Amino acid sequence: MTIAAKDAPLIAVDDVHTYYGKSHILHGVTLHVGPGEVVGLLGRNGVGKSTTLKTIMGLVRPTEGSIQLDGAPITGMPPHKLARLGVGYVPEDRRIFRLLTVMENLRTGLDRQGVTDEKKQALLDKVFNYFPVLAERRSQAGGTLSGGEQQMLAIARAMMLEPKIILLDEPTEGLMPRMVSQISNIIDVLHKENVAILLVEQNVPLTLEASERVYIMEKGVVRHHAAARELKMNDAVIHQYLGV
Amino acid sequence: MELTAILYSIPWDQILIQTINGIVTGMILALIASGLTLIFGIMDVVNFAHGELFMLGAYIGVIVLATTGNFWLALLIATLVVALLGAAIQIVTLRPLLGRDPLTTILATFGVSLILQNYALWQFGPVARKIQEPFTGHFTLFYLEYPWYRLVIAGLSAAIIGGFWLFLKHGKYGIWIRATTQDRVMAQAMGIPVPWVHTAAFAIGAGMAAASGVLFGPLVGVNHTMGLDWVLKAFIVVVVGGMGNLGGSIAAAIFISLLEAYAAIWVSPAQAVIVSFIVLILTLLFRPTGLFVPTPK
Repeated sequence: MTIAAKDAPLIAVDDVHTYYGKSHILHGVTLHVGPGEVVGLLGRNGVGKSTTLKTIMGLVRPTEGSIQLDGAPITGMPPHKLARLGVGYVPEDRRIFRLLTVMENLRTGLDRQGVTDEKKQALLDKVFNYFPVLAERRSQAGGTLSGGEQQMLAIARAMMLEPKIILLDEPTEGLMPRMVSQISNIIDVLHKENVAILLVEQNVPLTLEASERVYIMEKGVVRHHAAARELKMNDAVIHQYLGV
Repeated sequence: MELTAILYSIPWDQILIQTINGIVTGMILALIASGLTLIFGIMDVVNFAHGELFMLGAYIGVIVLATTGNFWLALLIATLVVALLGAAIQIVTLRPLLGRDPLTTILATFGVSLILQNYALWQFGPVARKIQEPFTGHFTLFYLEYPWYRLVIAGLSAAIIGGFWLFLKHGKYGIWIRATTQDRVMAQAMGIPVPWVHTAAFAIGAGMAAASGVLFGPLVGVNHTMGLDWVLKAFIVVVVGGMGNLGGSIAAAIFISLLEAYAAIWVSPAQAVIVSFIVLILTLLFRPTGLFVPTPK
């Protein structure tokens, strides 16, 4: 494998503009995520981090700019096709199918064309191994799980798609400290399995710990881009953009 | 002594007969309402053309029965043809309107209902047609010769609804339908082709309406306005059962049909219809989310 091929981005977002009705949310966002890379996306509330993820996922259509997956254009592609191409999405509010059981929630991603029964079982075994509590509650309705369990289910559900990348939106929001460290373990596990992650978080230390590179957004654009290692040493930048 | 007098004054025979009648009508109504509530639940579309799909199913039943002489074949073909027609209607009229104001879909389905109704009038004329029931046996119920066919309708409707429920509960596509009903956006993000799930749901609803049209045809006669009464009642059932709630619609269909049947013991059947409106008004006043749904938190 050549260096150039290895460095080719998995997801490349180029100068993307997105509107909600008349309000201009993204003013030309440019970022990329390499294969198997964990990349953080930081910024204050309302700067467009979640909108960036939704735009990549095809849930909001950009008016300008382009998005590529593995070098092929995916701008404006419907979300269900992106999911089949290997883009997993774990939204901020988790959006578990509340009336479906844990198992049925997982099956929404598992019942795809070309997945053999053995493969399905292997995928289930894998997530039940990471999240034993989901195995215990497999017949329970998703809506009856605790917040932390729902977060696990949301991540496990995205893993059923065998994604190349997971768009992870504030996975630790509102969770107890014990759950937060579990989420950070899971990010490490996904990273070891070579799943790329674009991580939107308010938890700065966790993001800097988990990511290789970090983008910082302000008012709908990326203002700063640095290796996580550098930012750990540089409180001034963090303070300037995030006020912490 | 007074108690025995009261017990004697109750017309037990009529109550039993009306219970059976109520359940038979209730099952047919449940079959119509299931499709209506499925379509509403999954795409927030109130399908004003549902009664016309019921009517068209009955007419296709008439044609197939006339050519083949086989009632069961007529039932099957009418269901399939109207399901396909439903899919076409969904793709052409409703898919482009997804996410728009609900009023636009109401107008669209209302337009479709007018087209279908007038097509039927033009094609089949104003004279009612008859579907011959597949068998004409009777059994004696008190002083009545009660047709077996009515019980078969109730049983078949229950079987179709039961099969549909199993499909929703366990089938791959059933899970897709339930996931899409709960969260359209997240279903898409999980790789579920939501536009096609909507089309399939509309087709299933249309097929169920057509099946009830054929099953009920022998009891009422087939004409181009036969859908109107039934769809109105099905709307009441869907609201009373809780919009989009399948189990609630089935319970409400049987509940309302039984109440109407009992009321018909003392008042004329035309007046008994008032009962369903009373139930509707009381439901909207005191429990607008539906009678047969758990109290919302």
